[in-house]
Amino acid sequence: MGVWIILDTKFVALLLLIAAFALFYAYMALAKGGMKIKARTFPAVAAIPEAIGRAAEMGRPVYYSTGMGQGTLNNQLNGPQTLAGISILGYTTRLCAKSGVKITYFTMIADSLPLVEETMRTAYMAEGKPEEFDPAVAINFQNEQSPYLTASLGWIQREKPASSILMGGFYYEAVCIGEAGNTIGAMQIGGSANTHQLPFLVATCDYTLIMEELYAASAEISGNLDVIGSLRGEDILKFFVLILLGLGFILALVNNNSLISLLKV
Amino acid sequence: MSQIYKREMVFIVAGVVAFVMILDYFFGKNIPGISGAGNLSSTLQTWALIIQLMAIGLGAINLIQVHYRQISRKTNMALYSAWFMVFFAILLLLGFYKLATGVEPYPYTWIFANVYVSLGATLYAITGFYIFSAAYRAFRARNIDAAILLIGGIFVLLANAPIGEVIWGGFPLIGNWFNNVGQVPGMRTFTVVGALGLLAYGFRALIGKERGFYSEVQ
Amino acid sequence: MSGQNIWDKLQNVDRRVFYWILFIALTVPFLSPIGLPITVTPSTQSYYDGLKSIQSGEVVVLSINSGVSAWGDCLPAMIASVHKVYDQGGKLIVWSIGYTDVDITWAKIKEKLPDVFSKWKEGENYVYFGYCPGQETNVALLATNIRAIYPKDVRGVSTDQIPLMKDINGANKIKFVLSSDTGDAQMYYIRQWKNGQVNYEKTGKPPTVAEMGIAMNKSGDMAYYLSGDEFGLVAGSRGAAELEALTGYKGDATITMDSISVSHVLLVLAIILTNISMFATRGKKK
Repeated sequence: MGVWIILDTKFVALLLLIAAFALFYAYMALAKGGMKIKARTFPAVAAIPEAIGRAAEMGRPVYYSTGMGQGTLNNQLNGPQTLAGISILGYTTRLCAKSGVKITYFTMIADSLPLVEETMRTAYMAEGKPEEFDPAVAINFQNEQSPYLTASLGWIQREKPASSILMGGFYYEAVCIGEAGNTIGAMQIGGSANTHQLPFLVATCDYTLIMEELYAASAEISGNLDVIGSLRGEDILKFFVLILLGLGFILALVNNNSLISLLKV
Repeated sequence: MSQIYKREMVFIVAGVVAFVMILDYFFGKNIPGISGAGNLSSTLQTWALIIQLMAIGLGAINLIQVHYRQISRKTNMALYSAWFMVFFAILLLLGFYKLATGVEPYPYTWIFANVYVSLGATLYAITGFYIFSAAYRAFRARNIDAAILLIGGIFVLLANAPIGEVIWGGFPLIGNWFNNVGQVPGMRTFTVVGALGLLAYGFRALIGKERGFYSEVQ
Repeated sequence: MSGQNIWDKLQNVDRRVFYWILFIALTVPFLSPIGLPITVTPSTQSYYDGLKSIQSGEVVVLSINSGVSAWGDCLPAMIASVHKVYDQGGKLIVWSIGYTDVDITWAKIKEKLPDVFSKWKEGENYVYFGYCPGQETNVALLATNIRAIYPKDVRGVSTDQIPLMKDINGANKIKFVLSSDTGDAQMYYIRQWKNGQVNYEKTGKPPTVAEMGIAMNKSGDMAYYLSGDEFGLVAGSRGAAELEALTGYKGDATITMDSISVSHVLLVLAIILTNISMFATRGKKK
């Protein structure tokens, strides 16, 4: 087994994974220990209180969705996006509860329902208003993409939300919901790590979180030093990846595939 | 069980399952009982599927709650909610009939094929119209960056349509260059960067530092 | 409103006007086809070359992970692909890892290819397993144990009793996967099959993957094609029309090319118009 481990390229990937985890942990520990780490503010996250304030002034509700996310949390690409969206939902719900603004969450991800209900209920409880949370009003679930989109579009046309927040794993519904929000003049904040929907979110939303910013947003919202420290670790890792890219480019120029073979899984 | 235990159990279970899956991916064939059919990792994956399917039942309950509320409060959407409940009941009964007899009833297939499928296709087609109005609003050369986006977009649009090469042979040439060469580094960057962000997020979730999605409100 | 000239009004046109113009313009080519020539892009050519490499008796998987709403983009490519597999004497396994309307899609494919399915025998030349939810988890399990996910086909016949599946229980007997999806399903096969531990016995290399996707995902999927993770990419109606031209089986995608030409030209004209009006009003404000 020992010889097999050394010769298998997955072992290199495992070493890199452990190194990445060690880097994150190191910076988390350093940040908690007092190292000053400054993370830039995401305009999209900073705009959330503005969006809720707008809704409060106009007396209109807020629309929130984490996208179709392939209908399940058990999806490598979309599950984490949905979870990140739910984290931001908790923050948004708390602001809504504080301002007395109604928020409705639309989803087609059945296995996220217990998480969402718990998150929203806790947000209302944190503001001392547990009686104001009613899952039958605040959460709207549809089983498939088309009914979820129809429900969203219909609700947006009827209720005319002042703000619309789209954070998660979106597919073609991003452009439909975004345009529907634009039609009624809603302030829109979007975010997704699905590359194919980013152009539509950027075109239809006033503020957008792009790719990793969606995952980093909850770190910024929490304000926890160690969590922000992991963002620094992530940035250091990016430099390392850049170095690898440069090295790979130079080796490819001289027809050397050793680095590719080493990193292939 | 107290709230604290409930919360911590979520993270302990998630951590253990993640550890098993990492072991399976990297060492699976060398650790007996982890990899392969019937072993721990495939059992866990099967359980995940079962939980996913059970959750659909939860979703159905939410649907009934939402629409019952509309009906009981006699809102302006009550009629539509009543219509939904009628259809829900019909399809549920038809589904039970299929379960009991093993034969798919014709109304069930007809409703799915002629109502649901047609409506789904219609909604997907609506995307084209929305993209049209979004492009009309977004493709304005307000500054240099927007102007470059606009020019690139026009080339890609006309490369995708056969009429582009009829108008000018350069449209498909340049448009396909944008598709096959120009935008690929950007997309790869997105993918790599997104993966790194996901790695950090996963690590935080694994060690229980990422709690926003379960009952810890920020 | 007073003080607004034509350029100001153009910038604030009600979007419903555009929707009507677009709707009318899209229907005209269906009534009176134009029939413009279609040139083939390298990604579709590679896909077709992959289909041409099928030897008699080799088994290919068609993974239908696109819903009925994506028929416009994906169905014509699937039809052309199945036809080519038949032409090459290959065999087909069809399944879905998560879309509930796969039955309707498969029924439509069979309806569109009567010449193929009148000669093909179910169980010997092709087998249809239907869908089992699970997405990537399923794909990972299918690589080594198809029977764990599909113990029987849609007819209720046990997989062990299906002649085509006699020696097949995993990716090692599958030449390649044709994934028709609207999202990430092809990545599941790339991660779990192509980059997994299973080799295709005939070549000693992993089973390969090709994608029949929607036009919206083309930019993202192109990176996978160019890196060699996929041997071919047929994106959207345009890609499907190219594949139809290559296979010689002209279908719905070729018919829709005229509408696509009209809509794209309309959009370009609208964009040019809005930019002219923007510059005209900007000049006026200065």
